[in-house]
Amino acid sequence: MPVDLSPEALEKGETMIQAKQLVKNYDAFRAVDGVDFDVQKGECFGFLGPNGAGKSTLMKMVYCFSPRSAGELSIFGLDPDLKPAEIKNRIGVVAQTDNLDEQVSVIQNLEIYAGYFGLSRRETKNKIQSLLGFMALEAKSKARIKELSGGLKRRLVIARALLNDPEILILDEPTTGLDPQVRHLIWAKLRELKGQGVTLLLTTHYMEEAHELCDRLLVMDKGKVLDSGKPRDLVQKSMPPYVLELPATLQKNLGALPTAVHMEAHGDKLFLYSTSPDVLEKVAVSLSGEFRIRTTGLEDLFLKLTGRDLHDSD
Amino acid sequence: MEISQSTSKPVPSTFRRLMAVCYRHMTTYNRNFFTNSFGVVLEPLIFFMAVGWGLASAIGSIDGVPYLVFLVPGQIMTSVVYSVAFETSYGTYFRLEMDHNYDSMMVTPLGVSDIFWGELLYVGVRAAFFSTIPLVIFGVWGLILSPWAVLVPLVCFFTAIAIGSLGLFANRLVKSLNQFNFFVSGLIAPLLFFSGTLFPIDKIPKAVAFVMAWMPLYPSINLCRMLTTGHFQPELWVTLVYVVLVPWPLGYLGVKCIRPKLIK
Repeated sequence: MPVDLSPEALEKGETMIQAKQLVKNYDAFRAVDGVDFDVQKGECFGFLGPNGAGKSTLMKMVYCFSPRSAGELSIFGLDPDLKPAEIKNRIGVVAQTDNLDEQVSVIQNLEIYAGYFGLSRRETKNKIQSLLGFMALEAKSKARIKELSGGLKRRLVIARALLNDPEILILDEPTTGLDPQVRHLIWAKLRELKGQGVTLLLTTHYMEEAHELCDRLLVMDKGKVLDSGKPRDLVQKSMPPYVLELPATLQKNLGALPTAVHMEAHGDKLFLYSTSPDVLEKVAVSLSGEFRIRTTGLEDLFLKLTGRDLHDSD
Repeated sequence: MEISQSTSKPVPSTFRRLMAVCYRHMTTYNRNFFTNSFGVVLEPLIFFMAVGWGLASAIGSIDGVPYLVFLVPGQIMTSVVYSVAFETSYGTYFRLEMDHNYDSMMVTPLGVSDIFWGELLYVGVRAAFFSTIPLVIFGVWGLILSPWAVLVPLVCFFTAIAIGSLGLFANRLVKSLNQFNFFVSGLIAPLLFFSGTLFPIDKIPKAVAFVMAWMPLYPSINLCRMLTTGHFQPELWVTLVYVVLVPWPLGYLGVKCIRPKLIK
């Protein structure tokens, strides 16, 4: 069935972003290869994948930075090739790199950026005050960018992306390289924004982040979609609920495994999966040493779907 | 903090977008205003003192005016051209490849045209502003012979846009920062030396003079010289039209050339 991408149809279902068979080629290299997805108003939609999976390229297409090579894409029912300024006026973008104006202060960075959205002087002043408060940056408002830590810069970039009251906030690996405190602060702020009805679109390779924030996930690798759905459903439908991790050196000590146990060997580790923790418990006690049985999660799913081999980083 | 979810946010007008880009450059430049403007103002003055105390007394007059008076327009233009050429070659390269400032602008309602036309207008305004400082000093020195000289900043504005566009071309061609040497030493320097800055253009071989006469600097210097000396030449109108009109197609091509560096 052809997808109705008219503004009226999207308004009804509150579909904010719709992509059909989206393709991006860089010369001979295909970075995004026939991806379908839709993002509904008010949800947090996540792209999960290893480095080089095509997540950032996909984001760049959505925020009208990178024109698509083939397929259909609409944001607010508008075509990014035809109406980039209209779309960009209504979204906020936190790119992977901070791209701040290093020479000037925190407040000047925000003033400059507000200008790009045509905010009046009064709007700019009020908005900056409330955003500095929201991201807990008041004490640093006069500091130059060079004096800020990585976490502060990230908070500023998020504040900057909120200047135009975006309907969709796009975040490309928002917490990569940050310490746990900052990461939790950012997660809390993103949840708060979601509570206010802001639609969130984010990429990550942190399973914890995907689990904390995302209502729906799309797992990608090498430009293709591997699976999609709610985080819990994704794990449940393709993984047994329990796993026992063992060093590979213990393989020779294992006797015949019960039929209810499925074993996979990856690198220097063995992964024993089962629907029953008791069965795994029996295997564990037959070995000398402390081994913990844990529930399977996104990390296991991610590694299963994308393979446990090392990927070339991008 | 409240996010207001109204969908009736108009896209800022082209004028506001261009002004926003100019504001960005002005704010970042002004943060180091003294350092940044030091050379632009001081260099033509140092050159002048050296020549004034030394060379000028030996040369006497050229084209019916004292040599120092002859030198004024070329010197104002030289500092303008160098500052603009560096801004849109090295400066633009840094914003493009190192600091990625344009990337953060591209995710706002700004497009490539807004960003680079804004940049060209900014260098134009900056050039006009900085030309007033030596203009005043030379005026006090008694080297400005005509009140028409008040229009020199306007000539600098147009010239800066033309030269700035050349910087954008250069950005399309270079593969590393070092390659701007070809631009600065290979294009800008000869352009400056052979465009009637230090001696009249008719003193160089005819073929070279012909080429130089149509490059985007000689007409500007010639026009400035008419304005500062009050000796208007028959080619005034052709020169004026050239100076006012040529920057725009050059700017258009410059912006067109740099587009693929940003959008991939």
